[in-house]
Amino acid sequence: MRVSPEWLTDNRDTAALAAMLAPDSLFSLETLAAESRAITLRRFGQTMTLYAPLYLSNYCSSGCAYCGFASDRTTPRHRLEPDDIRQELNAMKKIGISDILLLTGERTAAADFEYLQQSVAIAAQEMQRVSVEAFPMSVSEYRKLADCGCTGITIYQETYNRQRYKTLHRWGPKKDFIDRLETPARALEGGIKTVGLGVLLGLSDPVEDALSLYRHLRHLGHTYWRAGMSVSFPRMRPQTGGYEPPFPVDHHLLARMIFAFRISLPDTELVLSTRESAAFRDGMAGLGITRMSIESRTTVGGYHDPGNQEKGQFDICDDRTAKEFCTALRTKNIEPVFKNWEPAYNGPVSPNSSPAIPETQPCH
Amino acid sequence: MDLLHFGSYTFSSRLILGTGKFSNSTVMLDAVRSSGAQLVTVALRRFNREQAEDDLFGPLSAIKGITLMPNTSGASTASEAVRAAHIARELSGSPFIKVEIHPNPQHLMPDPIETFEASRILAKEGFLVMPYIAADPVLAKRLEEVGCASVMPLGSAIGSGQGLATSEMLNIIIRESGIPVIVDAGLRSPSEAAHAMEMGCEAVLVNSAVAVAGNPPAMAEAFAEAVVAGRKAFRSGLMQKSGSAIATSPLTSFLGTL
Repeated sequence: MRVSPEWLTDNRDTAALAAMLAPDSLFSLETLAAESRAITLRRFGQTMTLYAPLYLSNYCSSGCAYCGFASDRTTPRHRLEPDDIRQELNAMKKIGISDILLLTGERTAAADFEYLQQSVAIAAQEMQRVSVEAFPMSVSEYRKLADCGCTGITIYQETYNRQRYKTLHRWGPKKDFIDRLETPARALEGGIKTVGLGVLLGLSDPVEDALSLYRHLRHLGHTYWRAGMSVSFPRMRPQTGGYEPPFPVDHHLLARMIFAFRISLPDTELVLSTRESAAFRDGMAGLGITRMSIESRTTVGGYHDPGNQEKGQFDICDDRTAKEFCTALRTKNIEPVFKNWEPAYNGPVSPNSSPAIPETQPCH
Repeated sequence: MDLLHFGSYTFSSRLILGTGKFSNSTVMLDAVRSSGAQLVTVALRRFNREQAEDDLFGPLSAIKGITLMPNTSGASTASEAVRAAHIARELSGSPFIKVEIHPNPQHLMPDPIETFEASRILAKEGFLVMPYIAADPVLAKRLEEVGCASVMPLGSAIGSGQGLATSEMLNIIIRESGIPVIVDAGLRSPSEAAHAMEMGCEAVLVNSAVAVAGNPPAMAEAFAEAVVAGRKAFRSGLMQKSGSAIATSPLTSFLGTL
């Protein structure tokens, strides 16, 4: 078994965040909220960037104890074929969506890299911005995705507690803790512009996980100075498969985490999905979160067939339409932004050195 | 008349407005109008041809009397910025391009090397290139040499509201520059804009300070007035600050005894 990297337990940089997150923290939630709000306003203004997820496939080879799409669930399996994808994209475009996140399960023969690459290429023709939340890949695979127009990779460690990780990931490629830990670095190495990190709140001690997540972000930032980074705060919802989270995170702690991350990482995109309720999302808008998903369907093919009664990966909580959601944002004086990217900026980046500078020969 | 010149374009307003971060486009458009700005910058990534409600370019281009300066915010390399400039010119018809290249999307600091390269290419192609740069006097001259229409050094980090933190370097840039110097980024208050103009900047660009103000249109107007006051003060010749005390006993009187 490979040993965990040193940065994962390096406490030099975490004191301030730890002080904000401690159960007996001296910082009141109101104090943190006010600071977080001020930073967000200065740095991101009164706007919210919107995106929507598109589930390409629910085939999966992993046995994550908490997931509704784990390979031992009886859920019917599908994948979207190219024509289905185009149909879904058209349905999404009608709602105004131009920024999408493509999702699959762990790598399987039915939904492998070639399938994902083809799907990204189709999506990049229709959408302004395409990100992927799928299985860990190699550097060269990430480079191929970047070449096809993928600019962002979301990959959650789920939990940074190695013991808990082992218990929860019962079989399949996801069992390898270190391989998953190294995945965001491989994506950046492959020229992906932005990596989205997160922990699945509820699986393990949330404060411990938050501190590790912060170390991971700092480590990536130091190693890849061009890296765009975002942090999501997925909190476990009732899952298909009926998993009860052993470390439930209440509203107050989740809010505290979001504020503390905004204060610690003033420039980082913070994401909140439709897993959360309308009331929580509306309340948090403007206080730290800068990116939200809308009108999510967590079933495969859910956009052009919204009547589909099949169970998704998890139940969404904020089921408002894009229009309703935008109205709520505007009531809070926040502008919903659908297009905040330009495909002219697609293509792999060189993660560290400048691509514009040709190699020069030493003079003799 | 005291006009600002870029190529064949002349402007009487010396306040340039940014259009991001506003709570809605109605407020943004009101702020643009009340600022009296004649040059307004808009990010290419906020052009949305498919959804009018999400589009910033359409409503801005409908305002009479303003010239749009698309910007390449979001680009991380010279080649991306050049590509974006071409698209922006095609869509907007404007020869202006604000070259904004920040390879690190976290802090949005401009990349001097990529910015130089993109500016060189675009100036050669006939764009009126306005590069957003760190307050680096040498880079400013290099950009002037390759034909930029102006240089836009930052007063402090974007959205930081730290004002003219780079004033020492800005003074050198202003003193040395043969092209207009426009302070871009970091200004929080109209008094800072006035100060930048008193220093000899030809114009200032403001976005966050207006966009997130309690009353953006009123704040835009306040900035416009400050810019006018600062420019007038600069042109009127500010009183010199005394450098050191005048000695009561002359230091060089001994010379007369020799």
